[in-house]
Amino acid sequence: MNFYDYLSFVYGAVSTIGVSFIAIIVGIPLGLGLALLRWAKVPLLGKCAYVYVSLVRSCPAVTLIMLIYFGLPQFEISLSPLVAAMISFSITATAFNCEIWRSALLSFDRSQYEAAQAFGMNRWIRFRYVLLPQVWRSSIPGLINEMTLLVKNSPAISVIGLLDITRAAQRIGARTYEPIPPLLVGFAIYIVIVMLLIKLQKHLEVRIRSAQEPL
Amino acid sequence: MNASVQHESKTHQAVLRVQGISKSFGDNHVLKDISFDMQKGEVVSLLGPSGCGKSTLLRCINWLEIPDAGHIRLNSERMGYAVNGTKVGDAQLSKMRSKIGMVFQHFALWPHMTVLENVMASPLHVQKRNRKEVEQEARAVLKRVGLEDKINMLPSRLSGGQKQRVGIARALAMKPDILLFDEPTSALDPMLVGEVLEVMRDLAAEGSTMVIVTHEMKFARQVSSRIIFMDSGHIIENRSPEEFFDNPQTDKAKTFLHSVQYK
Repeated sequence: MNFYDYLSFVYGAVSTIGVSFIAIIVGIPLGLGLALLRWAKVPLLGKCAYVYVSLVRSCPAVTLIMLIYFGLPQFEISLSPLVAAMISFSITATAFNCEIWRSALLSFDRSQYEAAQAFGMNRWIRFRYVLLPQVWRSSIPGLINEMTLLVKNSPAISVIGLLDITRAAQRIGARTYEPIPPLLVGFAIYIVIVMLLIKLQKHLEVRIRSAQEPL
Repeated sequence: MNASVQHESKTHQAVLRVQGISKSFGDNHVLKDISFDMQKGEVVSLLGPSGCGKSTLLRCINWLEIPDAGHIRLNSERMGYAVNGTKVGDAQLSKMRSKIGMVFQHFALWPHMTVLENVMASPLHVQKRNRKEVEQEARAVLKRVGLEDKINMLPSRLSGGQKQRVGIARALAMKPDILLFDEPTSALDPMLVGEVLEVMRDLAAEGSTMVIVTHEMKFARQVSSRIIFMDSGHIIENRSPEEFFDNPQTDKAKTFLHSVQYK
């Protein structure tokens, strides 16, 4: 492998991380929003959230990204491959994160939410000080897990011509006729990314625990 | 004449007026045209067999359950409605609720907050008062319920009796006009009931206005200025504790007192 091969790994890693990062940033709050719509049984919108999640969950990453990239130009919306990838991954992350948030909401004990109502907390204060801190805490493992899945689904972006880590490895292997070493390098990069995410999870969990046990 | 004048001046300063409250859950008519008044400093115990609607009535007072008919007036302000008669939204309703303190059967403390944070939460975030002042008062109120050494603990580390005392401190910290107690000792070990009742007894002696749903008959007799006895959604006795316990008028009340083995 030469200098340019390593450069294409860097390029691949940047697009993998970039697309996953955007999907995480978009998916976590939007997923929470959808989960709240379902949890609060908001008429119509709650049902829409349900339909959205069901549809997106049954669509493979590769299929969705092709639908976005090749489908939208039919409606006079043409996107660069990178934007199409970001949108498609955000759509998926939103749906899966919605389910993670929702399961945390379902296990949330409603009586203390009622206590918050009785103590004059309006909807925002109840959400900010009672609901979110607890639901966030129980969602962290699931959300981080979903992030690792996003990173590992990222080879799907190569179907619309983007260079991701696996695609970079494949290209190098095809040129050198030695497919294994570049694949191992790719694998190592995935390991590093996932390890960093797990570290983030540990960090968040420790921070929450220390905030809870001041003594 | 004299009596009616007295009555007049009394209703004038009623803290709480419950007027014709009805509530159904499906076909189940839980409350049927309930009315009563409470003056400042009065302690009313709501008694009755389980399922008679006591807890629902309590929850109607602070609009946790919305009654199908009737009015709740707190200091002549109508609960759940603006002056012009329209239903209020979440923000206005929350403001009204902040004048009513509530203590729950199963504590309903916020498990992610320490004892001190539980007590400070509403004064801080709802009443938006100064943090320093709120903390000082919260410490004082926790001292009053005997928990000054548990201030930084999470509720999960406390006994049931301690949890309920936090629940009471949390309600007191808002300086409410009225305190609602929904079976505050029913979920406690018999050994821990006393410490909670003692705190409530002090509150009653200090002139707090309280509505208590309870199964502790002796306690109800000692602290109450009035007993309201309910059966299947109706108030059937509303009298002084001595009259009620020594000389119940209705068969329902007699049967009830007999079944709880009150002597």
